[in-house]
Amino acid sequence: MLVITRKLDQSIIINGNIEVVVTGLGKEGVRLGIIAPREVEVHRREVFEAIAAANRAASAQPQGASPVIQDAAALLRARVPKAGPDKG
Amino acid sequence: MVQDDVTLSFPRGLVGFPQYTAFRLYEPEDGYPLKFLQAVGREDVSFTCIDVQAIKPDYVVPLSDEDAQGLAIQEPADALILALLAIPEDPKRMTANLAGPLVINVKTLQARQIVLNIDQFPLQYPVFSGK
Repeated sequence: MLVITRKLDQSIIINGNIEVVVTGLGKEGVRLGIIAPREVEVHRREVFEAIAAANRAASAQPQGASPVIQDAAALLRARVPKAGPDKG
Repeated sequence: MVQDDVTLSFPRGLVGFPQYTAFRLYEPEDGYPLKFLQAVGREDVSFTCIDVQAIKPDYVVPLSDEDAQGLAIQEPADALILALLAIPEDPKRMTANLAGPLVINVKTLQARQIVLNIDQFPLQYPVFSGK
């Protein structure tokens, strides 16, 4: 891992087109500003990992014609009418 | 309207699954209102999902300009929003991932999984007690 010391308002450039600026330093944490092309996705790591973990868990469960899935579909059909809100 | 059996293109894959960019989306017999999402060529990589409208009609995805442009979504009717479901042994306890919705352009079949703030959008929204 590359470790660089930066002060407030200083930045680093990554790959020539991504800039990470230190915009705040305090007891609560470091505030970073990120200037990047629109197609560059930036996420807080814990959010990204939580969603990746949810995806992995969802892909590992029974699929298709399993009884659990059929029960789930039946429950949803009972709960979700094809039209109009469910007042039940 | 998305047909019963289509192939969606996820150019970035799903979060944690960047290697799979083509998914078949279909509604199997007796599966309504569930839909299944299956990686093309990898039947073991599959997900159960549902049109969020069916479980939480007031759900709105704050789509960024970049995502809207990347998906070429011009109006809300262009987009189908699906949530991935976690279905435990007792399906009454199923939850929907509202923090990582799938947004699909129903005209082009281009799709992305959007990463939202987990403080505002539940990762495990209880489908049967969420009212």
